Amino acid sequence: MHEVLLAAGPLRHGTVPLGEAIAFWVLGPIALAGAIGMVLLRNAVHSALSLVATMGCLGAFYLIQQGPFLGLVQIIVYTGAIMILFLFVLMIVGRDASDSLVETLRGQRWAAALLGVGFALLVAIGIGRAVSPVTPTDLNSPNAGGNNVHSIAALLFTRYLFAFELTSALLIVAAVGAMVLAHVEREGPRPSQKRLARERIRSGRPQPLPGPGVLSQHNAIGTPALLPDGSVARESVMVGSMESQEERQALPTPSAGEGGFE
Amino acid sequence: MTHLLLAAGNTAVSTPSVSYHALAPIFIVLGAAMLGVLVEAAVPRAERFTVQLMVTIVGLVAALVVVGLLHGTRTTTPSPTGNDAFFAGSLSIDGVGLFLQGTVLALALVAALLVSERSVDVGSPIVASAAVVVGSADDRRLTTADRVQTEVFPLMLFAVSGMLIFPIANNLILMFVALEVLSLPLYLMAGLARRRRLLSQEASLKYFLLGAFASAFFLYGLALLYGYADTVDLPGIFTAQQTSGKSDVLLYTGLALLLVGLLFKASVAPFHNWTVDVYVGAPTPVTAFMASCTKVAAFGAILRVLFVGFSSAEWNWRPVIWAVAIASMVVGAVLGLTQTDIKRILAYSSIAHAGFILVGMVAITKQSTASVMFYVLTYGFTTLAAFGMLMLVRDPDGEATQLARWSGLARKSPVVATVMTVLLLSMAGIPLTSGFTGKFYVFRAAWDTAGPLVVIALLSSAVAAFFYLRIVVMMFFAEPPVDSPTIAIPGWAASVALTVGVVVTIVLGVFPQPVIDLASKASYFTG
Repeated sequence: MHEVLLAAGPLRHGTVPLGEAIAFWVLGPIALAGAIGMVLLRNAVHSALSLVATMGCLGAFYLIQQGPFLGLVQIIVYTGAIMILFLFVLMIVGRDASDSLVETLRGQRWAAALLGVGFALLVAIGIGRAVSPVTPTDLNSPNAGGNNVHSIAALLFTRYLFAFELTSALLIVAAVGAMVLAHVEREGPRPSQKRLARERIRSGRPQPLPGPGVLSQHNAIGTPALLPDGSVARESVMVGSMESQEERQALPTPSAGEGGFE
Repeated sequence: MTHLLLAAGNTAVSTPSVSYHALAPIFIVLGAAMLGVLVEAAVPRAERFTVQLMVTIVGLVAALVVVGLLHGTRTTTPSPTGNDAFFAGSLSIDGVGLFLQGTVLALALVAALLVSERSVDVGSPIVASAAVVVGSADDRRLTTADRVQTEVFPLMLFAVSGMLIFPIANNLILMFVALEVLSLPLYLMAGLARRRRLLSQEASLKYFLLGAFASAFFLYGLALLYGYADTVDLPGIFTAQQTSGKSDVLLYTGLALLLVGLLFKASVAPFHNWTVDVYVGAPTPVTAFMASCTKVAAFGAILRVLFVGFSSAEWNWRPVIWAVAIASMVVGAVLGLTQTDIKRILAYSSIAHAGFILVGMVAITKQSTASVMFYVLTYGFTTLAAFGMLMLVRDPDGEATQLARWSGLARKSPVVATVMTVLLLSMAGIPLTSGFTGKFYVFRAAWDTAGPLVVIALLSSAVAAFFYLRIVVMMFFAEPPVDSPTIAIPGWAASVALTVGVVVTIVLGVFPQPVIDLASKASYFTG
């Protein structure tokens, strides 16, 4: 077996196997384009999808560099779980609900871009020069016999035992923090079904609020529904999720009769 | 192949031996934090505040006692057993580590008392419910309610546990996890102010975003250092500087990026931009906690990284420390001069003090280690009490932090004015206060190696003294405003905390020798 392989002589590109080199030069630009797109694209969903592309490529890099566990974790956890959760949040908040882009510090974007590019060049050139004479090594010995996961586990439970255990404290803090920031505690007794129903009838508006106007051109819940006469049903959207201040003001105000809720 | 697979299934890892008694302070604080989380779920709201305070204080005191019992320990843990490959323990419990742990615990105890103060504001300086939308009807009702978001206590304990690990972390991965464990609760706590909630939430978000940015720098540096040394243990990085054949660019770029992350936490200029807004927005007792305990932990970690991991590269990082120390002192002193808000002045003063502490790090000697340890202790108590005093001078809508509101305060309350004067004189470094002794030892330790730097430090402390003295002059010699602010009478908790702060400030100014001896005895590293 060994003799055959040696005789054939694996194709190489410089110091790395040819296949790895091809994969790198194909995936590298995609990863980079995804990262740049994530920053530059205006639409938050497109931004998030660019990041998914970058993270998928990173996962592939880990795989071809003999880190199957890390590669799969990257794909499952980052692209699969975190980014999809992120997309859910974007969809719920409203795809078009964008932040104000008014610059409060004049010229800061240019200054930041200049300094950022300068810093990136400095680090890239420095590291490029530093690692070019280094011969890449492989992970054959820690991975021998399918031992990749085993080797990682051994490290986690010996050398990095305390750091590994301490991450649990981090998770508790994250959970408590989410509760503190988002959970409004109920005060007083829980209202009964009967009471809620009575309140609803007495409110003069027993039917539910109209749903948002999700049409083919807009898929954000911030899009208001249209009434039969073409006017906007203001109650169909939460005021906070309207697309922007100007648009909100531009909306025609339906007179009381038009809505038909009186 | 089959043979190898079977072998893989059977290979047992020898469990490392953990020295539980040396880690006991950390486990006690972490245990108390988790107990606090359970208290949130199990104890009815009426008793929750008292129970949380008890858990916090008992936990911190117990940990402090254990740190005292551990004195003289020198060990690294967990250590390898059996025929495993050698690795350095990820925590090194040594004199410097224990001294700083003790300092963090003592300061956190005082800060916890400040957090639990309930007499100066309705309910507490901590918000009733952080999740309620600002300005809503519920929010207006809860502002004057007795209810308090008691999760602040377990969060504080988690932050303290991170601060206990940060200065003794002997490996950079653990140092990073500890950095996150101490930062994450602080981000949350900064957003819990009862008054001016939007400002507080903005501070929290700002701190979080910039903190995450700084963490990324730390991680990048860590990765480059791993590339250089093939290890993330500080002793391993030290050895690699003699043996590694790789380019030094990796080493120095890695160290530089690592330092960015660490100096950010210590709020050293030019990485100080978050400090002032966060200190102003956060609830004042939390600001006191951040300004004292975080500084101790961050400087402990910087001390260990530079003195253990990079002691042989001293000539390369010394100019960097010079530069950031000068930048920090100048920024703190000069921008502090232009402020009209006392909380902002104290925040700039903390930036200037970060510069003074760095002056002590330009030389790797036992004396300089001891002087830095002593300085963070004295500064911690003084700044805790100074921020605590801000809680007492109040307008109807909260603390009166405008400088103009403090004029003529001595006529209204001579005690408050006098106490504040002592604390400000200590920050200015006037003799017979702890600020003077701290500065004296730091400058003496640095004098032989960095004379010009000490001269710059003296000049900037003279500039800084001007704005401290300006407050003193205003309090004693200016006319009080027509609707002068009220002076709240602190309850037992804040009274104890303020008294401890002031007494330590005076005692360490008059009779510092025992603590200095303790610091010099403790100034040894293992690892």
